[in-house]
Amino acid sequence: MRVKVKRWHGVAVWRWDVPNEEVCGICRVPFDGCCPTCKTPGDDCSLIWGECTHVFHMHCLLRWLQTEGSRGQCPMDRRTWGINFTKLFFLL
Amino acid sequence: MSSRSRQNTINRINTNANNNNNNNEEERGGAIKRTRLDNANYTSTHTFSSSSSSSTAVAAATASSSSSYDNFIGKTSKKYDLVNHGKDLIFPSHKPIPDRPNDAVRQGPQKQPIKKLVIKGLKDKPKLPDNYEEVTWSKLQAAVQAIFNYQRIGTSLEELYKACENLCLHKMAPSLYKRLAGEIEEHLKVEKTKLENNLNENDTLLIVVNKCWQAHCEQMGLIRSIFLYLDRTYVLQTSGVISIWDKGLEIFQKQIMSSSAGDIKKKTMNGLITLIRLERNGDSVDRRLLHSLIHMFIDLGIYCPSFENLFLMETRSYYHHEGISLVSEITVPRYLKHVKKRLREESDRVSNYLDWKTKNPLTKVVDDELIKRHVDTLLEKGFNDMMEDQHADEHIQELGRLYDLLARVNSLDRLRLYFGNYIKKTGSNIVNNVNQESTMVEDLLALKKKMDSIVAISFDRNYNFAHAVKESFEVFINQRQNKPAELIAKYVDLKLKLGNKRMDDLEIEKTLDEVLVLFRYIQGKDIFEAFYKRDLAKRLLLNKSASFDYERSMLSKLRKECGPGFTSKLEGMFKDIDLSRDFMNSFYHSRISENLRTNIKIDLYVNVLTQGFWPTYSPAPLILPPVMAECQEIFKEFYLSKHGGRNLKWQNSLGHCLLAAEFPKGNKELVVSLFQAVVLLQFNDLKLKERISYEHIKEHTGIEKKELDRTLQSLACGKVRVLKKHPKGRDVSPTDSFSVDEMFDVKFFRIKVNAIQMKETLEENQETNERVFLDRQYQVDAALVRIMKMRKKLSHNELVSELLSQLKFKAQVSDIKKRIESLIEREYLERDSEDPSILKYLA
Ligand SMILES: [Zn+2]
Ligand SMILES: [Zn+2]
Ligand SMILES: [Zn+2]
Repeated sequence: MRVKVKRWHGVAVWRWDVPNEEVCGICRVPFDGCCPTCKTPGDDCSLIWGECTHVFHMHCLLRWLQTEGSRGQCPMDRRTWGINFTKLFFLL
Repeated sequence: MSSRSRQNTINRINTNANNNNNNNEEERGGAIKRTRLDNANYTSTHTFSSSSSSSTAVAAATASSSSSYDNFIGKTSKKYDLVNHGKDLIFPSHKPIPDRPNDAVRQGPQKQPIKKLVIKGLKDKPKLPDNYEEVTWSKLQAAVQAIFNYQRIGTSLEELYKACENLCLHKMAPSLYKRLAGEIEEHLKVEKTKLENNLNENDTLLIVVNKCWQAHCEQMGLIRSIFLYLDRTYVLQTSGVISIWDKGLEIFQKQIMSSSAGDIKKKTMNGLITLIRLERNGDSVDRRLLHSLIHMFIDLGIYCPSFENLFLMETRSYYHHEGISLVSEITVPRYLKHVKKRLREESDRVSNYLDWKTKNPLTKVVDDELIKRHVDTLLEKGFNDMMEDQHADEHIQELGRLYDLLARVNSLDRLRLYFGNYIKKTGSNIVNNVNQESTMVEDLLALKKKMDSIVAISFDRNYNFAHAVKESFEVFINQRQNKPAELIAKYVDLKLKLGNKRMDDLEIEKTLDEVLVLFRYIQGKDIFEAFYKRDLAKRLLLNKSASFDYERSMLSKLRKECGPGFTSKLEGMFKDIDLSRDFMNSFYHSRISENLRTNIKIDLYVNVLTQGFWPTYSPAPLILPPVMAECQEIFKEFYLSKHGGRNLKWQNSLGHCLLAAEFPKGNKELVVSLFQAVVLLQFNDLKLKERISYEHIKEHTGIEKKELDRTLQSLACGKVRVLKKHPKGRDVSPTDSFSVDEMFDVKFFRIKVNAIQMKETLEENQETNERVFLDRQYQVDAALVRIMKMRKKLSHNELVSELLSQLKFKAQVSDIKKRIESLIEREYLERDSEDPSILKYLA
């Protein structure tokens, strides 16, 4: 007997590339879920990585940056916020 | 009717008649005077029309003014014959004889040329002879006596009428009335004596009394017609004087019915009661006799209350005994049928010979004695049997009868109680039967359908009964935790899965709606969701869904039922499937996949899932052959290049493949799970009949023991056996070895071997349950903290009851206690130092 794979239906699960059970530093929701204003995780509510290596829900961070007190800084370490573009292929 | 109200009615009728005819009366009065002066034949102007001449021989006789006396007598004696034969004659006792003159007569004067009539006063006032009254009365008296004695009347009717009229006109009406009454009384005294002497024979009693009564009516009818003028003038104009007919009744009542010596009234009543009892027993009796005598009582004003009370008492005792003996002798359905029959009979009785006013009290007596008294006995003895399903149609009818009868005595609440208890008992048996789980949902659906149709057909769509169905289902279905919810989810899976009996759109919609009703009753909807989700995932990922339309229809039903929160994750699953399709499209058009197709020649399709939407699967290790591993890497690279910041993890347990297989007996295509595929690949290029050991396979595939056992078993011990197990047997053991079945041959080209993937394993089942319990724990913790954060300080009991009101599933108090302890340990809460039953929130 000889068998050969002709067709293959695979299943994969995607996760954000963040440590297990880590939560967004702004809204405290685990990254498996979405930010408080969204309903479904995924492309509609993606994450954003800073040059400082901190991660947030993109919506959370944008709302933060719009506040007076943010002064364009990372809410965790108060360094000037810069996006880590290597994690954001889909934006390019 | 009481005699007073009856009298009122008569007065009212008389007054109306009087008013209506006032004009006619005047006109006629004038005419009478004229004709008297003119000495003309008054009869020509006194022609009466009769509106109901058929029933009133008297009126007819009066109306035929031109008929000869002999003719008149002839007519009446014919009537007498009828009476003697016991024919049923109805004498209108309270209807005044119509006294409108013929239209022709009334209009007569207008049609003729008007003549002026000049009346000159007489010079001498005419004087009556001294003995005028006596002479005239003796003429009338003779006639009355003749009537009573069935003799020829020696004077013409016209003359008698005129005699009466003349006496009235000479103001002798009061004494005439008195004399007439005296004459009637004398006659009835004689009759009474005759009756009393005749009463010994009980058989004939009723007949004799009836004869006497009929004769009285007949005779009074004739007398009334002779003394019509008296009735029309003196009686109408004098208050306190009753009509000749009524006077006759009064005397009859006083003389005959009040006879103490013979007690005629009592004996007659008892005779009637006996006759009715005989009829109830099934004998045929003379209903005309009953009718005549009962209406005699009505006319005499002694029907109500005397006779009616006696009759109702007898009825009560009759049905009291019948009810008690029948309810234990015959089956409940037969009893109910019998009661219906009795009610019909009694209703007939009312229309045949009783006063219609007896209908309500009579019905109430029957209802009381045959139904109300036995409500609980009937329900206890027969209800469950009637609910069972031997002859569905018949039972539905019987239940309808039961409902109708109990509704009559306001006992539907009892019926509802038994109905609810029956459902609870039956449903509880279904739900708690551990050996019949495979048919539980179907059995519940059948029960629901049956109960619904009973409510719709037998119970008049009564809302309370529909509510009882709902209530009872909610009670028993939640008696057993979790399992019903799980089985309902699996039932839906069965309906939505490919390869089942084909159903058309309507059928499947109907089935889904029905099962959704059961779902509605379930308290632990999270269990349903967990199992539903697991099955849905398999249907979607293994391409086993019968139709995406049905899937979406079910989803929208669930959303409608439980709100969008319940279905958002399920919807997310569909979204992932759609996104994956789009993504695979772009993958196929990429250069990378071109390379894959030309060099590796594997057609790869990947569903990429969002973790949060799907069930959590435990990792399933697998060593892929290098070609497949390369294939996977290519895809992963492409995916991550399109989706930054993500990781991909493969779910091997959900993968499946199509294999091209060359067997000595021919080529086949095998549809297999990824595990099966990898195992089969181990057998490529072996020598004929060469075996490889279990351990070898395990080592080279990396599959965990349990999974590998299942996989090997499906390939070597299932329906389609590609492999041979050595030694033979149903169970796989680590010491077994395997070889290819070189003789493998089945008639189909494409063979599905991966049914095990759809099947739920015991571990999977436990895992799903455990995940729900874990999730419930989180919910309890979160709710406890939420409540305490708001209230700051609560007693233990207050906290528990507030928590229970917030949870959507049934939680055990002992479990909650454990969660509170755990929160104290984790320093969310603390106990009050003075009163340990008080809990405080720690900020
Ligand atoms: Zn956030
Ligand atoms: Zn968002
Ligand atoms: Zn930072």
